Amino acid sequence: MRNKKLFIGAVILAAVGLVGIFIAGMVLSAQPGNRPSAGSPAPDFAMTLYKDYRADLPETIKLSDLRGRVVVLNFWASWCVECTKEADALEAVWREYRDRGVIVLGVDYLDTESAALKYLQQYDTTYPNGVDLQQEVSRAYRITGVPETFFIDKEGIVRKTVIQALTKQALVNAIEPMLAE
Amino acid sequence: MSANMSANIPLRRLWVVSLIACVLWLIVAGIVQAQTPDPSDRVHDIAKQLNCPTCAGRNLADCPTDTCMQWKQEIKDQLLAGKSQQEVLDYFQARFGPTVLQEPPKEGAILVLWVLPVIGLVALAAGGILVLRRVSAQRPKTANEMPVTSGQALDIEVEDEYVARLEEEVRKA
Repeated sequence: MRNKKLFIGAVILAAVGLVGIFIAGMVLSAQPGNRPSAGSPAPDFAMTLYKDYRADLPETIKLSDLRGRVVVLNFWASWCVECTKEADALEAVWREYRDRGVIVLGVDYLDTESAALKYLQQYDTTYPNGVDLQQEVSRAYRITGVPETFFIDKEGIVRKTVIQALTKQALVNAIEPMLAE
Repeated sequence: MSANMSANIPLRRLWVVSLIACVLWLIVAGIVQAQTPDPSDRVHDIAKQLNCPTCAGRNLADCPTDTCMQWKQEIKDQLLAGKSQQEVLDYFQARFGPTVLQEPPKEGAILVLWVLPVIGLVALAAGGILVLRRVSAQRPKTANEMPVTSGQALDIEVEDEYVARLEEEVRKA
Protein backbone atom coordinates (compact mmCIF):
# COMPACT_ATOMS: atom_id res chain seq x y z
CA MET A 1 0.00 0.00 0.00
CA ARG A 2 2.81 2.34 1.06
CA ASN A 3 4.81 1.38 -2.04
CA LYS A 4 1.89 2.19 -4.28
CA LYS A 5 1.50 5.61 -2.68
CA LEU A 6 5.19 6.32 -3.10
CA PHE A 7 5.10 5.26 -6.75
CA ILE A 8 2.05 7.39 -7.52
CA GLY A 9 3.72 10.29 -5.71
CA ALA A 10 6.85 9.90 -7.86
CA VAL A 11 4.76 9.81 -11.06
CA ILE A 12 2.81 12.94 -10.05
CA LEU A 13 6.05 14.72 -9.14
CA ALA A 14 7.60 13.84 -12.48
CA ALA A 15 4.46 14.93 -14.36
CA VAL A 16 4.36 18.25 -12.48
CA GLY A 17 8.05 18.73 -13.26
CA LEU A 18 7.53 18.10 -16.97
CA VAL A 19 4.54 20.46 -17.11
CA GLY A 20 6.62 23.07 -15.25
CA ILE A 21 9.46 22.79 -17.75
CA PHE A 22 6.95 23.07 -20.63
CA ILE A 23 5.29 26.19 -19.18
CA ALA A 24 8.68 27.78 -18.42
CA GLY A 25 9.77 27.14 -22.01
CA MET A 26 6.56 28.68 -23.38
CA VAL A 27 6.87 31.76 -21.15
CA LEU A 28 10.56 32.28 -21.96
CA SER A 29 10.04 31.90 -25.71
CA ALA A 30 7.09 34.32 -25.62
CA GLN A 31 9.02 37.04 -23.84
CA PRO A 32 10.48 39.84 -25.96
CA GLY A 33 13.85 39.06 -24.35
CA ASN A 34 16.62 40.32 -26.59
CA ARG A 35 14.45 42.27 -28.99
CA PRO A 36 16.61 45.22 -30.03
CA SER A 37 15.15 48.45 -28.74
CA ALA A 38 16.20 52.09 -29.01
CA GLY A 39 19.79 52.44 -27.83
CA SER A 40 20.81 48.80 -28.25
CA PRO A 41 23.20 47.57 -30.95
CA ALA A 42 21.47 46.26 -34.06
CA PRO A 43 22.12 42.51 -34.39
CA ASP A 44 24.41 41.82 -37.31
CA PHE A 45 23.23 39.49 -40.07
CA ALA A 46 24.03 38.39 -43.59
CA MET A 47 21.36 38.38 -46.26
CA THR A 48 21.18 37.42 -49.91
CA LEU A 49 19.63 40.15 -52.02
CA TYR A 50 17.20 39.49 -54.86
CA LYS A 51 18.95 39.69 -58.23
CA ASP A 52 17.39 42.91 -59.51
CA TYR A 53 17.19 44.54 -56.10
CA ARG A 54 20.80 45.06 -55.06
CA ALA A 55 21.30 48.75 -55.89
CA ASP A 56 25.06 49.20 -55.51
CA LEU A 57 25.47 46.37 -53.02
CA PRO A 58 26.95 42.87 -53.48
CA GLU A 59 24.79 39.74 -53.77
CA THR A 60 25.20 38.93 -50.07
CA ILE A 61 25.41 41.81 -47.66
CA LYS A 62 26.21 42.11 -43.97
CA LEU A 63 24.61 44.80 -41.86
CA SER A 64 27.99 45.60 -40.32
CA ASP A 65 29.31 46.44 -43.81
CA LEU A 66 26.83 49.31 -43.93
CA ARG A 67 28.36 51.05 -40.91
CA GLY A 68 28.62 54.78 -41.57
CA ARG A 69 25.24 54.85 -43.27
CA VAL A 70 21.77 55.28 -41.81
CA VAL A 71 19.85 52.04 -42.36
CA VAL A 72 16.08 51.80 -42.56
CA LEU A 73 15.56 48.08 -42.02
CA ASN A 74 12.05 47.18 -43.13
CA PHE A 75 10.46 43.75 -42.70
CA TRP A 76 7.69 43.05 -45.20
CA ALA A 77 5.87 40.32 -47.13
CA SER A 78 3.92 40.27 -50.37
CA TRP A 79 0.85 38.86 -48.58
CA CYS A 80 0.89 41.67 -46.02
CA VAL A 81 -1.86 44.20 -46.70
CA GLU A 82 -0.43 46.83 -44.34
CA CYS A 83 2.92 46.65 -46.14
CA THR A 84 1.31 47.90 -49.33
CA LYS A 85 0.39 51.12 -47.50
CA GLU A 86 4.03 52.05 -46.90
CA ALA A 87 5.60 50.68 -50.10
CA ASP A 88 5.44 54.01 -51.95
CA ALA A 89 6.76 55.98 -48.96
CA LEU A 90 9.76 53.68 -48.54
CA GLU A 91 10.61 53.96 -52.23
CA ALA A 92 10.21 57.75 -52.18
CA VAL A 93 12.52 58.08 -49.18
CA TRP A 94 15.10 55.80 -50.80
CA ARG A 95 15.15 57.88 -53.97
CA GLU A 96 15.37 61.12 -52.02
CA TYR A 97 17.97 60.10 -49.43
CA ARG A 98 20.14 57.47 -51.10
CA ASP A 99 22.78 60.04 -52.04
CA ARG A 100 22.82 61.40 -48.50
CA GLY A 101 24.01 58.18 -46.89
CA VAL A 102 20.68 56.50 -46.20
CA ILE A 103 19.95 52.95 -47.22
CA VAL A 104 16.51 51.42 -47.16
CA LEU A 105 16.88 47.66 -46.78
CA GLY A 106 13.88 45.40 -47.30
CA VAL A 107 13.76 42.01 -45.59
CA ASP A 108 11.25 39.69 -47.23
CA TYR A 109 9.62 37.60 -44.52
CA LEU A 110 7.89 34.21 -45.03
CA ASP A 111 7.37 34.76 -48.70
CA THR A 112 7.75 32.88 -51.94
CA GLU A 113 10.20 34.38 -54.39
CA SER A 114 7.79 34.69 -57.30
CA ALA A 115 5.17 36.51 -55.19
CA ALA A 116 7.83 38.76 -53.67
CA LEU A 117 9.29 39.77 -57.02
CA LYS A 118 5.83 40.44 -58.38
CA TYR A 119 5.12 42.70 -55.40
CA LEU A 120 8.40 44.62 -55.81
CA GLN A 121 7.68 45.11 -59.48
CA GLN A 122 4.13 46.22 -58.77
CA TYR A 123 5.33 49.00 -56.42
CA ASP A 124 8.22 50.00 -58.67
CA THR A 125 10.66 49.25 -55.88
CA THR A 126 14.35 49.91 -56.48
CA TYR A 127 15.83 49.85 -52.96
CA PRO A 128 17.81 46.75 -51.89
CA ASN A 129 15.68 43.80 -50.93
CA GLY A 130 16.61 40.32 -49.78
CA VAL A 131 15.10 37.12 -48.58
CA ASP A 132 15.04 36.24 -44.91
CA LEU A 133 16.18 32.65 -45.36
CA GLN A 134 14.93 30.38 -42.57
CA GLN A 135 13.74 33.56 -40.75
CA GLU A 136 17.22 34.16 -39.34
CA VAL A 137 17.00 37.95 -39.53
CA SER A 138 13.44 38.20 -38.23
CA ARG A 139 14.38 35.90 -35.35
CA ALA A 140 17.43 38.02 -34.50
CA TYR A 141 15.22 41.11 -34.41
CA ARG A 142 12.35 39.24 -32.76
CA ILE A 143 9.77 40.85 -34.97
CA THR A 144 6.15 40.46 -34.01
CA GLY A 145 4.85 40.57 -37.57
CA VAL A 146 5.01 42.68 -40.71
CA PRO A 147 5.40 45.50 -41.45
CA GLU A 148 8.04 46.35 -38.87
CA THR A 149 10.84 48.89 -39.28
CA PHE A 150 14.10 49.44 -37.40
CA PHE A 151 15.98 52.73 -37.78
CA ILE A 152 19.70 52.10 -37.33
CA ASP A 153 22.18 54.95 -37.04
CA LYS A 154 25.67 55.30 -38.57
CA GLU A 155 27.20 53.53 -35.56
CA GLY A 156 24.96 50.49 -35.89
CA ILE A 157 22.72 51.41 -32.96
CA VAL A 158 18.95 50.96 -33.13
CA ARG A 159 17.39 54.37 -32.65
CA LYS A 160 13.74 53.64 -33.21
CA THR A 161 11.40 50.75 -33.97
CA VAL A 162 7.98 51.07 -35.55
CA ILE A 163 5.38 48.29 -35.70
CA GLN A 164 2.98 49.72 -38.25
CA ALA A 165 2.89 51.03 -41.80
CA LEU A 166 4.94 54.23 -42.12
CA THR A 167 4.14 57.43 -43.94
CA LYS A 168 6.81 59.38 -45.79
CA GLN A 169 6.68 62.08 -43.12
CA ALA A 170 7.23 59.54 -40.34
CA LEU A 171 10.22 58.14 -42.21
CA VAL A 172 11.72 61.60 -42.75
CA ASN A 173 11.17 62.49 -39.09
CA ALA A 174 13.11 59.43 -38.01
CA ILE A 175 15.92 59.77 -40.58
CA GLU A 176 16.73 63.48 -40.37
CA PRO A 177 18.00 63.53 -36.74
CA MET A 178 20.31 60.58 -37.49
CA LEU A 179 21.71 62.33 -40.55
CA ALA A 180 22.30 65.51 -38.59
CA GLU A 181 24.61 63.73 -36.11
CA MET B 1 -32.91 -15.03 -96.01
CA SER B 2 -29.36 -16.29 -96.63
CA ALA B 3 -28.47 -13.02 -98.40
CA ASN B 4 -29.75 -11.10 -95.39
CA MET B 5 -27.63 -13.26 -93.09
CA SER B 6 -24.45 -12.70 -95.14
CA ALA B 7 -25.04 -8.94 -94.94
CA ASN B 8 -25.36 -9.17 -91.12
CA ILE B 9 -22.04 -10.94 -90.63
CA PRO B 10 -19.74 -7.96 -91.51
CA LEU B 11 -22.03 -5.69 -89.48
CA ARG B 12 -21.72 -8.01 -86.47
CA ARG B 13 -17.93 -8.13 -86.95
CA LEU B 14 -17.88 -4.34 -87.04
CA TRP B 15 -19.78 -4.24 -83.73
CA VAL B 16 -17.39 -6.71 -82.10
CA VAL B 17 -14.31 -4.83 -83.35
CA SER B 18 -15.80 -1.51 -82.14
CA LEU B 19 -16.56 -3.02 -78.75
CA ILE B 20 -13.04 -4.42 -78.38
CA ALA B 21 -11.58 -1.04 -79.45
CA CYS B 22 -13.70 0.76 -76.85
CA VAL B 23 -12.64 -1.62 -74.09
CA LEU B 24 -8.97 -1.28 -75.09
CA TRP B 25 -9.28 2.51 -75.20
CA LEU B 26 -10.81 2.59 -71.71
CA ILE B 27 -8.02 0.38 -70.34
CA VAL B 28 -5.25 2.46 -71.97
CA ALA B 29 -6.87 5.75 -70.87
CA GLY B 30 -7.16 4.43 -67.33
CA ILE B 31 -3.49 3.47 -67.25
CA VAL B 32 -2.38 6.81 -68.69
CA GLN B 33 -4.53 8.71 -66.19
CA ALA B 34 -3.12 6.67 -63.32
CA GLN B 35 0.41 7.49 -64.41
CA THR B 36 -0.18 11.25 -64.68
CA PRO B 37 -1.99 12.36 -61.53
CA ASP B 38 -3.97 15.56 -61.46
CA PRO B 39 -1.61 18.48 -60.55
CA SER B 40 -4.11 19.76 -57.98
CA ASP B 41 -3.95 16.38 -56.18
CA ARG B 42 -0.16 16.59 -56.12
CA VAL B 43 -0.34 20.17 -54.81
CA HIS B 44 -2.68 18.95 -52.08
CA ASP B 45 -0.36 16.04 -51.23
CA ILE B 46 2.61 18.39 -50.83
CA ALA B 47 0.59 21.04 -49.00
CA LYS B 48 -0.48 18.36 -46.51
CA GLN B 49 3.18 17.96 -45.58
CA LEU B 50 3.72 21.68 -44.90
CA ASN B 51 2.67 24.05 -42.14
CA CYS B 52 0.83 27.31 -42.68
CA PRO B 53 3.41 30.08 -42.11
CA THR B 54 1.05 32.46 -40.37
CA CYS B 55 -1.47 30.34 -38.44
CA ALA B 56 0.32 28.24 -35.83
CA GLY B 57 -0.22 24.51 -36.08
CA ARG B 58 -2.41 24.65 -39.17
CA ASN B 59 -1.84 22.50 -42.20
CA LEU B 60 -1.10 24.40 -45.41
CA ALA B 61 -3.57 22.29 -47.38
CA ASP B 62 -6.46 23.20 -45.07
CA CYS B 63 -5.64 26.89 -44.68
CA PRO B 64 -7.58 29.42 -46.78
CA THR B 65 -5.44 32.51 -46.01
CA ASP B 66 -3.82 34.57 -48.78
CA THR B 67 -0.35 33.47 -47.69
CA CYS B 68 -1.26 29.81 -47.97
CA MET B 69 -2.95 30.32 -51.33
CA GLN B 70 0.30 31.92 -52.49
CA TRP B 71 2.34 29.00 -51.21
CA LYS B 72 0.03 26.51 -52.91
CA GLN B 73 0.40 28.45 -56.15
CA GLU B 74 4.18 28.25 -55.71
CA ILE B 75 3.92 24.46 -55.30
CA LYS B 76 1.81 24.23 -58.45
CA ASP B 77 4.25 26.42 -60.42
CA GLN B 78 7.20 24.31 -59.33
CA LEU B 79 5.41 21.06 -60.23
CA LEU B 80 4.48 22.44 -63.63
CA ALA B 81 8.12 23.43 -64.08
CA GLY B 82 8.99 19.74 -63.71
CA LYS B 83 10.16 19.57 -60.10
CA SER B 84 9.51 16.40 -58.13
CA GLN B 85 7.58 16.33 -54.86
CA GLN B 86 10.82 15.97 -52.88
CA GLU B 87 12.42 18.88 -54.73
CA VAL B 88 9.48 21.11 -53.89
CA LEU B 89 9.63 20.09 -50.22
CA ASP B 90 13.39 20.70 -50.22
CA TYR B 91 12.81 24.19 -51.63
CA PHE B 92 10.39 25.07 -48.84
CA GLN B 93 12.68 23.63 -46.19
CA ALA B 94 15.70 25.54 -47.51
CA ARG B 95 13.78 28.79 -47.65
CA PHE B 96 11.71 28.62 -44.48
CA GLY B 97 13.59 26.14 -42.28
CA PRO B 98 12.78 22.61 -41.11
CA THR B 99 9.84 23.72 -38.98
CA VAL B 100 7.90 24.41 -42.17
CA LEU B 101 7.51 20.65 -42.52
CA GLN B 102 4.69 18.88 -40.71
CA GLU B 103 7.25 16.25 -39.77
CA PRO B 104 10.62 18.00 -39.43
CA PRO B 105 13.69 15.77 -39.84
CA LYS B 106 14.72 14.24 -36.54
CA GLU B 107 18.12 15.89 -36.18
CA GLY B 108 19.73 18.65 -34.11
CA ALA B 109 17.44 20.41 -31.64
CA ILE B 110 14.41 18.58 -33.05
CA LEU B 111 16.04 15.25 -32.26
CA VAL B 112 16.44 16.41 -28.65
CA LEU B 113 12.68 17.11 -28.53
CA TRP B 114 12.00 13.53 -29.65
CA VAL B 115 14.58 11.88 -27.42
CA LEU B 116 13.99 13.90 -24.23
CA PRO B 117 10.50 12.52 -23.41
CA VAL B 118 11.75 8.95 -24.00
CA ILE B 119 14.71 9.55 -21.68
CA GLY B 120 12.30 11.10 -19.16
CA LEU B 121 9.98 8.09 -19.28
CA VAL B 122 12.85 5.60 -18.96
CA ALA B 123 14.27 7.60 -16.03
CA LEU B 124 10.82 7.69 -14.44
CA ALA B 125 10.36 3.93 -14.85
CA ALA B 126 13.86 3.25 -13.48
CA GLY B 127 13.20 5.58 -10.53
CA GLY B 128 9.89 3.85 -9.85
CA ILE B 129 11.49 0.42 -9.90
CA LEU B 130 14.27 1.60 -7.57
CA VAL B 131 11.77 3.07 -5.12
CA LEU B 132 9.70 -0.12 -5.17
CA ARG B 133 12.75 -2.32 -4.59
CA ARG B 134 14.02 -0.16 -1.75
CA VAL B 135 10.62 -0.05 -0.06
CA SER B 136 10.08 -3.78 -0.41
CA ALA B 137 13.54 -4.39 1.09
CA GLN B 138 12.65 -2.31 4.17
CA ARG B 139 9.22 -3.89 4.71
CA PRO B 140 9.00 -6.27 7.77
CA LYS B 141 8.56 -9.86 6.56
CA THR B 142 5.77 -12.20 7.64
CA ALA B 143 6.61 -15.37 9.51
CA ASN B 144 6.12 -17.51 6.40
CA GLU B 145 8.62 -15.42 4.36
CA MET B 146 11.34 -15.50 7.05
CA PRO B 147 14.16 -17.97 6.57
CA VAL B 148 14.50 -20.51 9.37
CA THR B 149 17.73 -20.07 11.31
CA SER B 150 19.32 -22.81 13.44
CA GLY B 151 18.24 -21.04 16.65
CA GLN B 152 14.68 -20.85 15.46
CA ALA B 153 14.77 -24.52 14.48
CA LEU B 154 15.88 -25.35 18.04
CA ASP B 155 13.00 -23.27 19.43
CA ILE B 156 10.53 -25.20 17.27
CA GLU B 157 12.00 -28.51 18.44
CA VAL B 158 11.78 -27.40 22.09
CA GLU B 159 8.23 -26.26 21.53
CA ASP B 160 7.32 -29.61 19.92
CA GLU B 161 8.84 -31.46 22.92
CA TYR B 162 6.85 -29.30 25.29
CA VAL B 163 3.63 -29.90 23.37
CA ALA B 164 4.29 -33.67 23.41
CA ARG B 165 4.85 -33.70 27.18
CA LEU B 166 1.78 -31.55 27.71
CA GLU B 167 -0.36 -33.92 25.67
CA GLU B 168 1.05 -36.87 27.63
CA GLU B 169 0.21 -35.22 30.98
CA VAL B 170 -3.30 -34.49 29.79
CA ARG B 171 -3.75 -38.14 28.73
CA LYS B 172 -2.54 -39.37 32.17
CA ALA B 173 -4.90 -37.07 33.95
